[in-house]
Amino acid sequence: MFELIERLQHNTLQVSLPGFQPELAICATIVLLLLGRMLPFTRWIDTLWIALGGTLVALYLARPWQHLAVGTDVAATPLFDGMLQLDTFTIYFRGVLLLFVALFLIFSRLSGIPDREDAVDIYALVLGSTLGMMLMASANHLFVVFMGIEMASVPSYALAGVLKGRRISSEAALKYAIFGAGTAGVMLYGISLLAGALGTLHLPTMVNQLADMPEAEFAMRQTVLLSGGLMLMVGLAFKLSAVPFHFWCPDVFEGAPAEVDAFLSVASKAAALALLVRVAIGFGHVPTSSVAAVDRPTSAVVRTVAFAAQPAVDAPVAAKAADDKAETPATVPVPLAKSRRFMVGLISLLAAVTATFGNLAAYSQTNLKRLLAYSTIAHAGYMMMPVAAALAVVGRDPELARESISAICFYIGTYLFMNLGAFAVVAFVRNETRSEEIRDYAGMIRRSPGLVVCFGIILVSLLGLPPMSGFAAKLLVFKSLVTDPQLYTLLIIGGLNTVLSLVYYLRVVKVMTIDAEPQDRVLPSFSMLTPGGVFITLMTIPVAGLGIWWDPLNVLAQQAVRQLFS
Amino acid sequence: MGILSQPIGASHMMVVGAVMFVAGVVCMATKRNALGVLMGVELVLNGANINFVALGSDLLRGDTPYRLGLEGQFVSLFVIVLAAAEAAVALAITLNFYNNHATVDVDRADELKG
Repeated sequence: MFELIERLQHNTLQVSLPGFQPELAICATIVLLLLGRMLPFTRWIDTLWIALGGTLVALYLARPWQHLAVGTDVAATPLFDGMLQLDTFTIYFRGVLLLFVALFLIFSRLSGIPDREDAVDIYALVLGSTLGMMLMASANHLFVVFMGIEMASVPSYALAGVLKGRRISSEAALKYAIFGAGTAGVMLYGISLLAGALGTLHLPTMVNQLADMPEAEFAMRQTVLLSGGLMLMVGLAFKLSAVPFHFWCPDVFEGAPAEVDAFLSVASKAAALALLVRVAIGFGHVPTSSVAAVDRPTSAVVRTVAFAAQPAVDAPVAAKAADDKAETPATVPVPLAKSRRFMVGLISLLAAVTATFGNLAAYSQTNLKRLLAYSTIAHAGYMMMPVAAALAVVGRDPELARESISAICFYIGTYLFMNLGAFAVVAFVRNETRSEEIRDYAGMIRRSPGLVVCFGIILVSLLGLPPMSGFAAKLLVFKSLVTDPQLYTLLIIGGLNTVLSLVYYLRVVKVMTIDAEPQDRVLPSFSMLTPGGVFITLMTIPVAGLGIWWDPLNVLAQQAVRQLFS
Repeated sequence: MGILSQPIGASHMMVVGAVMFVAGVVCMATKRNALGVLMGVELVLNGANINFVALGSDLLRGDTPYRLGLEGQFVSLFVIVLAAAEAAVALAITLNFYNNHATVDVDRADELKG
């Protein structure tokens, strides 16, 4: 018994908490922001600096530049007895999220959404949501998957309704909250079914159980596993805004301020994708390293201690032979092969439908935020494709699978700048014209050429034309689909979709450049030398630059995936 | 006679959980009052909770290699807390909606569409 406590203490203090530092820094910042209100001096300090400082401290503690450098060899460690997984993938997504939040805080200050009264609330909600997203990126246990999604979602519901007096804002928040709560409930029920069928919630242990399950046993549990898996995907699809769980996305994006949209479209999506990758690997790949076998979850140990009288029957959890590299169709256990096939099919289908629907629905939009919402949905579809590709080839060649996942990492890296830039333009133009309708952008190039050039670059990049970074990202995604014949359909759908999206992105460019200025009013002139203009320029430079010189980000993405599928 | 003639085990509890889940989903799908929908969500969450508690109980599960153990109990404890937090936020948002629209009918939330 004492041995157990000692082990727990050592594990928590020496291993888990040091690896959890960035999250702890964010927690401390939230507490500081909330308690800071009680102290008199905070009236003179801008709370932005507390939030920004906390984020930068967290980014420093995460040290992505150190852990993702080529040649460093950080070991993948399970934290808190396998609840979280700390590897380069976690570190990459942490870095992306924290960098984004830092940029977002600056952007929201420049565009003026958090006023003096609300600023603390908004910052606390944003950081709280970020904490959940960081958990999502490192989840290694289905319970953390659920907690992470909830911790990321609940503050987002409140963020969507941050403009209290506006009718559409309150409607957006209501739709988001009700839809989110419903899908989370369904997902939790699915998780409970999976837990019942596999006897654990720890992802690597689950896949071990699945691989070792006798075929008769599997046939008995197949229906439960199938429905549990589908229900789990409901929650993930909601976070990814994948069709058919995308309804909230355009409504929330139209009703919420553009700043909140930027946060939801980048951070939330990045975290959801990381989570999808974690779950997909969790159910499709048996880890060969010590991750699953040596460090079994405490609860399993507690159970063995508490019921020492009974023979420890949960032996199949223990180490599986390291024969993964030479996996041939004959050696893959039937349940594992079926689980993979199921997920490849489901994710491909979701990705294809999501990309196509997002692009088709974007055509008829007149509100720019709504158009960008559908564009976000379509991009979620593209970004899901490599997950299917990775699962399709993982049995044959883990290296190819890693390559596919690195395409997602690269995509997210470029997507961050594209969408933050696009929503920054929407927010700054809204501040000038009080409008987010596309027709009010007509002829803007005559008064604000710099802004239109930047926005044009961002839109062309979202579309995926060379030489912008969006092209490089799409190229990597499509490259990952060439690896397996069963993915060719997906590749064709992806290609067609890119052509489809051409029309509505370029329509916005056309309205801004070719259409005549409205007669009845004077368009604002937006100078690129204002802080807002500088911010937009700073977002546009990586959008264009990463398309020409994409090696650095690609190397980072390669480093991010090197510990997956091992 | 199948499940009816057996001593009470995890599967009986899971039947209760499944009934609660279905009731919750039906409630979410049919209620037009936002508060009713939120009650449906609570039913679904608690249906899952019953599953977790039942699957985690060694008494109910008996001797099977697929025992969930303590994990089941701690998940359900966390979910109870989380459901309370979620309800608090959702109710605040509903109140905000009421302040702007003077109704909590979800069908009246129809200004955003397309």
